[in-house]
Amino acid sequence: MSKLGCSSRLVVILGIVVLSLLLASFAMGPLGSKLFNIEVPTDLQVSKPHVVLPSEAMFHIGEFKVTNTLISSWATILILCLVFFFATRKMKLIPGRLQSFAEVVVDGIYNAIQGVSGEKHVRTFFPLITTIFLYVVTNALLALVPLWGTWGPIEHKTEGAHTFTIIVPFLRAANTDINLTLSIALVSFCFVEYLGFSKIGPLKYIDSFFQFSELGKAFGRLFKGDAKAFISGLAFGFINIYVGLLEILSHLIRIVSFTFRLFGNMTAGEILLGVMTFLVAFIAPVPFYGLETLVGFLQAMIFAGLTLVFGVMAVTSHHEEGAEHN
Amino acid sequence: MESIGINWQLLVAFLINFLVLFGLLTAILYKPVLKMLDERAAKIKESLEQAEKIKEQTSRSEEQIKAAVEAARKEGQVIIAQAAQIAEKIKGEAKDGARQEAAAIINKARDEIKLERDKSIAMLRSEFSNLTILAAEKVIKESLDGQKHRKLINEVLEQSSTFKQN
Repeated sequence: MSKLGCSSRLVVILGIVVLSLLLASFAMGPLGSKLFNIEVPTDLQVSKPHVVLPSEAMFHIGEFKVTNTLISSWATILILCLVFFFATRKMKLIPGRLQSFAEVVVDGIYNAIQGVSGEKHVRTFFPLITTIFLYVVTNALLALVPLWGTWGPIEHKTEGAHTFTIIVPFLRAANTDINLTLSIALVSFCFVEYLGFSKIGPLKYIDSFFQFSELGKAFGRLFKGDAKAFISGLAFGFINIYVGLLEILSHLIRIVSFTFRLFGNMTAGEILLGVMTFLVAFIAPVPFYGLETLVGFLQAMIFAGLTLVFGVMAVTSHHEEGAEHN
Repeated sequence: MESIGINWQLLVAFLINFLVLFGLLTAILYKPVLKMLDERAAKIKESLEQAEKIKEQTSRSEEQIKAAVEAARKEGQVIIAQAAQIAEKIKGEAKDGARQEAAAIINKARDEIKLERDKSIAMLRSEFSNLTILAAEKVIKESLDGQKHRKLINEVLEQSSTFKQN
């Protein structure tokens, strides 16, 4: 009974602390200070989020700019490799905790891929899809770690009457660099097209776009003397070629959509967190951090999942599909 | 392009990053873990099969034991039946033997009684003849020579039915 009373008192105290933090940060924030006419010292003000889409160079190696996002992605690679190196250093049949974690990650993603691609192609898809997922999700989650995006030299910039406070962070969410998202999108595109060419054969794969074989059949009908069938076949053949061109275009557009989906979502997330922190420094951004965690997982899943689906579409040719349906 | 920051150098750097990560993860995560998972799956399958085999073996040996017990029971019943038969036979034989012995004893007794009777009769007859001789001597007061006398008595006795032998 006394234990329960103690814990409920703790909850009350915690609630008061949280509430007062929330109210204080609201009052000290830009909204509250305007509303209540409070003069807040500039050192206590949270700077307004300053949106810069290109990543900022931290230092140069010759001509090459090493940007804060590049450093972040190195951190991601380092963390992933360290964790999984120690997890799989001594593999045992009866796993320890870290090994179990690695196995859960691998097994979970493996089964998810198997559900989409079937038993036959799992091992083809698994390494790349898993790498995309882990890379994107780790980038997204690392961006939520304290210091990420906030630790860096503070610059004061005067532009007319206004003075901006700009922080150029040492570490910036890697997914907010369009070069990163574009690089994964390119890898994904190349992977899908490579699979199409290698698994069904180059001629068949090209044929799956343009249906040249239908055109060939139309010419075959001409030799048999069926002019009417030849003309309609020819017409459909040209339509198919046009559709094929559109399809190639759609494959190329995949790169753009991949790139901007991830880039846009992640940048928006960063801005959202910045704005919330700017408005109410404490407590209020917490739910948005939860949201961003979810978004990070979701975007990683979408990127990996779409690559998987496109890959599965590429390896199952239209012929096979038709055969399956019949 | 510049305003959103596309830069071919950075792009190449990120591509290299991704490929490096891909290679490293393949080496330290996918290969060992998939190998382990496969190994474990194989092991589980193997042990399940083994368990199935052992189960089968157990049921088979159980059946064998059951069959052996059944056979033993039947054999035991046969033996008991045989023993009962033998006992019956022995009993019968003993009965027969006893009956025969009894009969032999009775016969012997009868023979002996007969012998005794014959003896007694013979004795009685000689006694009686002597007595008769004595009596006749006294009655007729005439002494006949023994030889003649005896012959006479015997003739009388032969004629009388009461003292006929047998």
